[in-house]
Amino acid sequence: MNRTRADELQTILGQGGWDRAVAILQRLDPTVAADTFMSMPYEDQQVLFRRLPIELAAKLAPIFPYYHTFVLLHSLSKDQMIAVVEKMNPIERSMFLDELPEGAWQQITDELSEHQPAASLAGGVSISVQDRAAAPMQPIIEARWIEKAFQRPDGGQIQVIAPTNLSVEPGVIVALLGPSGSGKSTLLRMLSGLTAPSAGEVLWHGKPLSESTPNAAIVFQSFALFPWLTVLENVEVPLLARGVKHAERHRRALRTLHSVGLKGFETAYPKELSGGMRQRVGFARALAVEPEVLFMDEPFSALDVLTAENLRGELMELWLGKKIPTKSIFLVTHNIEEAVLLADRIIVLGRDPAKVRADFRVPFPQPRERNSAEFLLYVDYIYKLMTQPELAAGPPAAADREVKKSYRMLPHARPGSIAGLVELLNDRGGKEDLYRIAEELLMELDDILPIVEAATLLSFVKSEHGDIELTSSGKAFAEADISTRKVQFREAALAHVTLLQQMNSALQSKSDHSMPVELFRDTLDEHFSDDDVQRQIETALNWGRYGDIFAYDSENDRLLMHQPNLADH
Amino acid sequence: MALFYGLLSLARYWTAPVNTQANIDLNPSALPAYALFSVARIAVAYFLSLAVSVIYGYVAANSAKAERLMIPLLDTLQSIPVLCFLPGVMISMVALFPTTQLGVELGSILLIFTGQVWNMAFSVYSSLKSIPREMLEAARLYRLSWWQKLVQLELPHMAIGLIWNSMMSVAGGWFALMVCEMFVLGNRDLRLPGLGSYLQTASNAGATRSIVWGLIAMVAVIILIDQLVWRPIIAWSEKFKFEQVEASESPGSPVLNFLRRSKLLSRIASVSVAPAREALTLYFARGDAVPQAAHHERNLAKWTSWILAALATGGVLYAVGKMGLMLTSLARSDLRDIFWGAGATFLRIELTLVLAALWTIPVGVFIGLRPKLSAIAQPMAQIAASIPAPALFPIVLLLLIRVGGGLGIASIVLLLLGTQWYILFNVIAGASAIPSDLKEVCETFHLSKIQRWRKLILPAIFPYLITGFVTASGGAWNASIIAEYFRFRNQTFSITGLGAVISRATDAGNFPVLLGATIVISAMVVTVNRLIWRRLYTLASTRFKLEFT
Ligand SMILES: Nc1ncnc2c1ncn2[C@@H]1O[C@H](COP(=O)(O)OP(=O)(O)O)[C@@H](O)[C@H]1O
Ligand SMILES: [Mg+2]
Repeated sequence: MNRTRADELQTILGQGGWDRAVAILQRLDPTVAADTFMSMPYEDQQVLFRRLPIELAAKLAPIFPYYHTFVLLHSLSKDQMIAVVEKMNPIERSMFLDELPEGAWQQITDELSEHQPAASLAGGVSISVQDRAAAPMQPIIEARWIEKAFQRPDGGQIQVIAPTNLSVEPGVIVALLGPSGSGKSTLLRMLSGLTAPSAGEVLWHGKPLSESTPNAAIVFQSFALFPWLTVLENVEVPLLARGVKHAERHRRALRTLHSVGLKGFETAYPKELSGGMRQRVGFARALAVEPEVLFMDEPFSALDVLTAENLRGELMELWLGKKIPTKSIFLVTHNIEEAVLLADRIIVLGRDPAKVRADFRVPFPQPRERNSAEFLLYVDYIYKLMTQPELAAGPPAAADREVKKSYRMLPHARPGSIAGLVELLNDRGGKEDLYRIAEELLMELDDILPIVEAATLLSFVKSEHGDIELTSSGKAFAEADISTRKVQFREAALAHVTLLQQMNSALQSKSDHSMPVELFRDTLDEHFSDDDVQRQIETALNWGRYGDIFAYDSENDRLLMHQPNLADH
Repeated sequence: MALFYGLLSLARYWTAPVNTQANIDLNPSALPAYALFSVARIAVAYFLSLAVSVIYGYVAANSAKAERLMIPLLDTLQSIPVLCFLPGVMISMVALFPTTQLGVELGSILLIFTGQVWNMAFSVYSSLKSIPREMLEAARLYRLSWWQKLVQLELPHMAIGLIWNSMMSVAGGWFALMVCEMFVLGNRDLRLPGLGSYLQTASNAGATRSIVWGLIAMVAVIILIDQLVWRPIIAWSEKFKFEQVEASESPGSPVLNFLRRSKLLSRIASVSVAPAREALTLYFARGDAVPQAAHHERNLAKWTSWILAALATGGVLYAVGKMGLMLTSLARSDLRDIFWGAGATFLRIELTLVLAALWTIPVGVFIGLRPKLSAIAQPMAQIAASIPAPALFPIVLLLLIRVGGGLGIASIVLLLLGTQWYILFNVIAGASAIPSDLKEVCETFHLSKIQRWRKLILPAIFPYLITGFVTASGGAWNASIIAEYFRFRNQTFSITGLGAVISRATDAGNFPVLLGATIVISAMVVTVNRLIWRRLYTLASTRFKLEFT
């Protein structure tokens, strides 16, 4: 299997056997080789790709997903890239180019046609890659096989983070992307030393956390300011903890406040400030200690769009202008555009349990344009990655550690939203780019993903390469009237949703056709965390009631078998 | 100067020999001194409770092991009526200090303390437990010393809850104090000079003028404390509120404004408090920078906690053994008395609650639905409720004996006096919280009066009503101890009940019965709380919550 082969390959790479790895890949059938290659961490892929003979690279490149190929190609020097593309089989090459979105296509054709390597985009990147290969930068943080499981009240365990390797190098902004509840914050807490991993270890400068005192700061989504302290006192808190004396403390706090644009607000209390101003205080408090690594947990999520954009710009100004001594920024976000806008490197987390799905560099310079070709290509790529579970490109999780799950997580979406999505797709001729839809509806990935997942689960749509497409049953659903829709929804739900099947058959078999919901809660408790159980039950009730599978008696928290005459009443 | 003189005379009085025949001066001019005595007792007991509750709550919230033991204990202790302990505490304190007044004084302070401390400790504990996770994480990440964390995060976060609970506790303290001040042990009159004994003596003598003066003094003291202490503190504590936006109107206090404007005070603060705080925080911040010491300390702390736990377990086992031995000497007739008494008291209390509900629900709803009326009625009811019921007992008794009702009726009136207010307040609060759009919906649907009560009003006030009942039932058990057995003008009145059993046993010095009855009453209160009130409470907070989501 390619999983064991990938393991083998990685062991070889770990011992520095790049040439042996190349030799192994050369011996394999190209599709198997491409598969194996894809299952390695991106950092390794990048270095290995540079070492591949041009022929092999040209053979493998068209087999990878096109956006991945695009990214990999741009990790080469420009000459190398052109050489690889020219070596590709002409049919495969044109297929690859055809698949690219317009902007990316334009860029790569430009690059191929113009022959002066000066001032090129990819050139800059290839230098940095060469640097890395020549003298691997000592990482500040290194996480080795860290994982996290939480104790449930009933004594069981929930694995939230699968064994993960990760390192944070100086000089970069790393963005950690993932849907909410995937474990981003948990990972951040482990890296910053706030919580200990259940297994594995986190090293700062090569030393375990018990022996070192990491110089880290966190900016929280909820700001986490002390409301009874003034702005100035809040910023002084960490300085006071380090024993900085009054005069010096005052001076440093004021300086930091000025640098984030809070001059004149020193004596205000946080509750007198707007959200944006409060987060500035959050930044000032974090920056006051001149942290080596600045962690940020969705720092802009609680702010309105304009304020967030403004604050991002100011942060980048501080960072790019080297006005802060911070060596590295670790940004947790569920906003894809934010990640592509700010980060030098993006790590995408999958969920249940979280593992690294992809880890790649964003190789174009700051400041970035939101509507530039490369920007859109990356946004598109990440959307695709996140909507397609099989695209996993992260390090393989040890198979025996996977949590057994007989239940599939019910995506938290209302039937009305599902119907809305299906209708929209139908209006668009049955097929559309997910990224476009999200943009059009002004929805964040977090909002739209559960709806797409739900529609997929009910097999109203199928998603492929980030496009979503109506199935025939989806089309029928979109065009049906309300009562037919209910019947179709019921059929789809009973065919695909285990929980609803169970509820239905339990109700059928009970003589009084009624059932306490608590029972199903208990069953789910064994598989999911409390919040998730709550959400799933809520979703199941919504779907079941919409599809007339059952009625719900909220007074007694019981399910009743649906009786049409009663419901019509 | 006045303060100093007051302290001095208090000290002189405490070390004076015990006076077995308390001489209470009925002249109104003696009232300020009595009021001072009463307030001093409350104050000492309160500061003691404050210190203990902060420590108790802090330990319980910070140690998972201690938490498992301390919280159920707290929960139980909180529901045991404090007056159960009155005879035991007094007897042991007088035995400890047989020659000075200090024993009786300490006894009363200990008792008030016992009545005050548990809900305050619980408030500290739950405030500490509810500090937002990210604030705690910020504190950990920036390595705040335990001291800085306490001063900048934990104390501010617990302030509001602690202040409200302090107010409730002090109100409860007055209740206990009145009883203590009137306490008579067998043939020894252990009454303490204070407002309580003044009122009791006045009723005994039938001196109406003195009774009126005494009541006026009582109300004046309570209002003064409210205005001079609680209002300023509440206004000051506004800054610890956790809200995200600034409230449009916040409670003000002229006293606080005056203190804030005082130049002298701010000068004093800037040369004393601020530097001390700075020095302490810096001291602990540096101490924290050495990780090795922490390890050593943790070992030490572990050992200390083991030794403490062992000692505590030993003590508890010893006490339980002793009590077991004592209980074996109970005669069968004693047991029968206790259980009959328990049943009678239980029924009497439930009857009282029903009677209280019967008048408070309609009146409370009537007031609560009319905002203008409740603006007037609420403060008045608050003043009425702030007079501790035991202070009124002698007066009520005096009246009832004049009109010729027996103690059977008197005891229920007494219980009512101690309980009805809690229900009334909660009903008013519940009714005034009914959103006006719901009221309008009822109008538009032309619901009949009965339907309106069934569909809107009763469900809406239900959670509040339950809260009121829980508090009232606790208060009723407490009051039952003194409401069933009364000495009045050298006559003894008593009816069947657990409270009477306890009081009689106290008078007779019958310790096994006292112990047995105390255990039974505690067990009953805890059981009733667990089986009835807690369930209703959960029901109320889930089913009947007015939610708009
Ligand atoms: N202290 C905890 N105890 C139990 N479960 C937790 C705890 N913290 C997080 N979780 C669970 O771990 C999962 C990931 O949480 P989190 O890291 O906060 O996700 P994200 O930041 O990506 O939204 C969630 O399902 C959450 O319920
Ligand atoms: Mg999070």
